[in-house]
Amino acid sequence: MEHVWDFQTVFASWSLLSQGLFNTLKLGLLTLITGMFFGFFVGLGRYSRSSWVNFPAGVFVEVFRNTPALVQIMWFYFAFPIISPFDIDAFAAAALGLGLNTTAFCAEIFRGGIQSIHRGQWEAGKALGMTYREQVWRIILPQAVVRMIPAFMNRVVELMKMTSLASVIAFGELMHQAKTISTYHFNPIESYTVVALLFFLVISPFAFLVYHLENRFRK
Amino acid sequence: MSLEILSCRNLKKQFVENQVLQGIDLQINKGESLAIIGASGSGKSTLLRCLNFLEIPSSGEVRLRGKLIGSRQNGQVVYQERDLIPIRAKIGMVFQHFNLFPHMTVLQNVMEGPRTVLKLPKSEYESRAISYLEKVSIPEKRNAYPSELSGGQQQRVAIARALAMEPEIMLFDEATSALDPELVGEVLDVILKLMEEGLTCVLVTHELGFAYSAAQRVLFMHNGVVLEEGSAYDVLVEPQQPRTIEFLRGHSRFQLPASKNSQ
Amino acid sequence: MGYVWEFGVVFNQLDLLLAGLLNTLKITGGALLFGIPLGLLAAILRLSTYKWLRVSVGVLIEFFRTTPPIVQLFWFFFALPMLSGIEMDPFRASLVTFSIQSSAFFAEVFRGGIVSIERGQWEAARAIGMNYLESMRRVILPQAVKRMIPAFLERVIELMKTTTLVATVSYADLLYQANNIAQSTYRPLEVFTVAAGLYFIVLFPTSLLVKRIERQLAKTGEGTVH
Ligand SMILES: Nc1ncnc2c1ncn2[C@@H]1O[C@H](COP(=O)(O)OP(=O)(O)O)[C@@H](O)[C@H]1O
Ligand SMILES: [Mg+2]
Repeated sequence: MEHVWDFQTVFASWSLLSQGLFNTLKLGLLTLITGMFFGFFVGLGRYSRSSWVNFPAGVFVEVFRNTPALVQIMWFYFAFPIISPFDIDAFAAAALGLGLNTTAFCAEIFRGGIQSIHRGQWEAGKALGMTYREQVWRIILPQAVVRMIPAFMNRVVELMKMTSLASVIAFGELMHQAKTISTYHFNPIESYTVVALLFFLVISPFAFLVYHLENRFRK
Repeated sequence: MSLEILSCRNLKKQFVENQVLQGIDLQINKGESLAIIGASGSGKSTLLRCLNFLEIPSSGEVRLRGKLIGSRQNGQVVYQERDLIPIRAKIGMVFQHFNLFPHMTVLQNVMEGPRTVLKLPKSEYESRAISYLEKVSIPEKRNAYPSELSGGQQQRVAIARALAMEPEIMLFDEATSALDPELVGEVLDVILKLMEEGLTCVLVTHELGFAYSAAQRVLFMHNGVVLEEGSAYDVLVEPQQPRTIEFLRGHSRFQLPASKNSQ
Repeated sequence: MGYVWEFGVVFNQLDLLLAGLLNTLKITGGALLFGIPLGLLAAILRLSTYKWLRVSVGVLIEFFRTTPPIVQLFWFFFALPMLSGIEMDPFRASLVTFSIQSSAFFAEVFRGGIVSIERGQWEAARAIGMNYLESMRRVILPQAVKRMIPAFLERVIELMKTTTLVATVSYADLLYQANNIAQSTYRPLEVFTVAAGLYFIVLFPTSLLVKRIERQLAKTGEGTVH
């Protein structure tokens, strides 16, 4: 069986592809930023001494970490609109699912990073008369953030891969564009290969960074 | 008649640009005990590790019972890992940090070589392991894990592990340096017993008193060369080289017998 | 707005959901069966002394770790049969994809475990005359595996979550069944919520186990690798 390669039709669809790449980056970036932002507070919340705060935070984190991201996205697309007061389109559903998923994972990273700092550091801050907020901002976070960098980079890798799940609910990111192109031109080999390579190009620098940071931290 | 066990000629070892061994000639005869002394970084460990090929020498030759190890190709000796494995099995090595296998009990540690490498039947490797644990006076700990033992006990198990291979020669690399002072004695006692039984031993050591009383021959290394070599008395009590004298002066805790010349 | 929840219709079809869960577990187990040995092999090759081997296996591993699994699945399902003439049904394509995809992750877990073992252990093994394979099998891996257990279980959790993708090529896993039931009953809210709950029931205890093992290893002073 001799396959006649047909990359021509893929590149001819470059406007579809670039639109897809744009949407992939838009979804990834938006959910990364919101996930890190809210994850910080949820992470601190899990560290709280009040069970009114740490229990719901814990439930939230465990639910979103222990169910599949695709189920989360489909839930927000098919199920949530029934009880939602506002309209949910594919982008909103994907952003909600991935954003909350990333929030949960980032919360764990923040919590782990903070926990890795020796208790004596909190006490030293306290002994200087610092408030809780000062202890977090001036003593704990500056030390913890460095240790959290590889884990966050890893999150970026996982999140960028997860954006492709939005294709299942027909959001026009890269993977969805590949489906469209391959149906239209009947060239699945070329479309999926090109899109795989595009993802690899976008994501592998982060993976490479993780690899090097981890080697560096191991020493 | 002295039978040569292990020897090397013009042995050199280079790490990138760092020439660590600059041509070592050495011969160790059957039943002999040799102590190697010298400052930290002088290449003692590297020499031992080249002798059992944990490091591959950059050039020169090593012979076991007169037989060249490796094969000669255009004047250079080249080594194949599969030829080195049986050599290592015949040369016992004891490490400064013991390197016991933490996931195995004491008995399993000692049985491991006879079992996996020598492929002895179970009855044989088991009784062999027990007898060597007895030799290092630790048979009652056979079912303990290394982490449950003191440093001195761990090192004695490591010695038993090496002995269980019934090697032709034992190499000790600072076997007592990682031990608390009160535990050094029990390990040295074991080594001394082995020497007295006629086992061929090479030991790198900073215990100069032990080297003096136990080793027949002492060798002083400096910057990758053997600067002085001779009987324990000659090297430790009446050294000729200024470097040796300086090194020994730094070890003032070592109580040397008075030199004949100064009497 | 007062939505009236109606879980009855879902529980009438619970047997279908459970059949789907069984298929989810089947694909997860199958991927583990092939992915673990393949991952060990890949890790050993990535630690090879031959640079070209190390680099090419490394690129392959990173490729499968950094491209979305849905792209891989579609590639194996739609593209590979056209290229090679190999027949692909949804189960086979999913098994191939997730075996390879998870092996890339397991390779990194194995590699992390292996390199975390002190050099002295290799040396002690070699000093009593063991060859590479004997050292690996008798001395290094038994110690490395213990440190790898948490990272390993975490990968299993990730794998099971990722297998939801098989629904997109119509393999009847839990998500696929949920989607069908949601469409036939017009009760997506209840159906997807129950489906998510079923995933949670399997995955959450595993997560707790990971944490417990991690704590235990930390207590005995042993590290874990990630
Ligand atoms: N694996 C290695 N790579 C690079 N340099 C090494 C290595 N092992 C030893 N060296 C260097 O070789 C020199 C001699 O080391 P060593 O043989 O351990 O000395 P000693 O045992 O006498 O203290 C030191 O300068 C050390 O830094
Ligand atoms: Mg040394």
